[in-house]
Amino acid sequence: MITVEHLRKEFTYYKKTTGIKGSLHNIFHRESLIKEAVRDISFSVEKGEMIGFLGPNGAGKTTTLKMLAGILYPTGGKIEVDGFIPWERRNEFKRRISIVMGQKNQLWWDLPASDSFYLNKCIFGVDDGSYRDIIVELSELLEVKELLNVQVRRLSLGERMKMEILAALIHRPDILFLDEPTIGLDILSQKKIREFLKIYNAQWKTTVIVTSHYMADIEALCDRAVIINQGRLVYDGKLGEVNQLLGKRKLLSVKTSCPVDMEGWRAFGMVREVSAAGAVLEVPQEKVQEVLAAILSGLQVEDFTVTEIPIEEGIARFYQKEAAEI
Amino acid sequence: MSALEYRVNFVTGVTVEMGWMVIKLLYVAIVYKAGINIGILTPDHILLFVGTYMLMTGIFMMYWGNFSSLPGMVQQGELDLYIVKPVSLQFLVTLRRLDFAYLLPELIAGTAMIVTGWRLAGLPAGVVPIAGFLFYLACGCLLAYSLFLLPYILSFWIISAGGIADISSALWDFNNMPSMIYEKWFRRIGTYILPVFVITNFPGLFLMGELSPWACVWGVAAPALFFALSRALWRFSLKKYSSASS
Repeated sequence: MITVEHLRKEFTYYKKTTGIKGSLHNIFHRESLIKEAVRDISFSVEKGEMIGFLGPNGAGKTTTLKMLAGILYPTGGKIEVDGFIPWERRNEFKRRISIVMGQKNQLWWDLPASDSFYLNKCIFGVDDGSYRDIIVELSELLEVKELLNVQVRRLSLGERMKMEILAALIHRPDILFLDEPTIGLDILSQKKIREFLKIYNAQWKTTVIVTSHYMADIEALCDRAVIINQGRLVYDGKLGEVNQLLGKRKLLSVKTSCPVDMEGWRAFGMVREVSAAGAVLEVPQEKVQEVLAAILSGLQVEDFTVTEIPIEEGIARFYQKEAAEI
Repeated sequence: MSALEYRVNFVTGVTVEMGWMVIKLLYVAIVYKAGINIGILTPDHILLFVGTYMLMTGIFMMYWGNFSSLPGMVQQGELDLYIVKPVSLQFLVTLRRLDFAYLLPELIAGTAMIVTGWRLAGLPAGVVPIAGFLFYLACGCLLAYSLFLLPYILSFWIISAGGIADISSALWDFNNMPSMIYEKWFRRIGTYILPVFVITNFPGLFLMGELSPWACVWGVAAPALFFALSRALWRFSLKKYSSASS
């Protein structure tokens, strides 16, 4: 459905030193610099798949998404979306996609959302029957039925985002691009939107690409994550397997009846936390049994648990690791 | 439509526009009082020309707000969500908001002045003159749209185009009075190089039989030419669109 090969995007920008002197200097001579927002990214997406772009701010997630949607021209590389080249901006292509941006509105601020929906209906040429069905179905699913005729500026951020998503789905796109759809929303609204997207994807087999820097979004929605950092693709695979790539390690939490000092814990492995009641150690997976046996025989253990390292940590290490390598 | 959501603002807009109109009417009142002719133009002809200018201003101001917001949209990356719609982006961006508060007073007063000037000057009122007048009015509308959009398209390149846009708006006001009040060389520039005079003068000149065959052709060619130019420049400039970070 989507193929991306060696995608690149460069932006030109200018440098300016602080103050009026810098501004005057810039009128006559400007030093132009090039930022490589996306460097050599390749991946592909199957029909009906839901994948997540993860990465820190400025990683190139949104730029990649904008190139996929045909908003930006790439500097190099190839993209094919459903047989179309996005930046040719053909109307048949635009009818198959939709994009929702967490920080930009497509709804008319001073009018009720229903007016913007109607405008989209006319633009996309949706027939009356399907339009009515979609509005009823989606507004019920998103729990915004009562708000359709309220001026958009009177809605809360969460309600507005639900309306933005509804507006984007009126023409039943085959591919949906979501750029930070839950940014700034409270936990309940985030959850509701995630649930909705999951149901929608399952029901309509819409291909969904979502960018977020909220781990929870990607974890709840996508089996597959693409991690982008400093414009490069650094990971493409199952989210749960991120940690394995960084070395299979486990967390061992141990509670003891007598306090053990830092030095005492260090004998067993890398110490993450230590308190009077116990400690959390990080140990290689293959050594868990051995370390545990040593602890059980050497200390007065009340309780212990073995857990995975949280995915967030694995990803954070990915960011740092790549940043250090570049 | 969204402008009508704010009734007070709408009424204020109409009132302000009427204030401007009174100022323009004062020019005509002075011409009548002084009773001076400009070349072959009597005060009645001048009333017709100023009426045409007023009507055109109303139509132009109805959508001009879209032009002036274009640089801001480019700067803030707001075109993103318009680009993905399967209709002409130029149409969507330049004509999406229509402000009727500007159109209404100018439409009523402009039409009244045209009709009065037409009658008083004793100009022909058959099917051909009326159709010709309306035709050049329509050509003028297309030319006004195309010509004045050009400087705003530059915002794709230089991001902030306020200065250039201000100059172009000032050009519009050269039509305050019939072009005949200007020197011949200035009239030529305003007709053939930067054809602002074509917009409001040609309908009246056609009616008076003062348009040469060459000018008749130019009155049609200029709008077509500048419209094609605005389309080409728009398409070309869109490739420069760099959005904005989010």
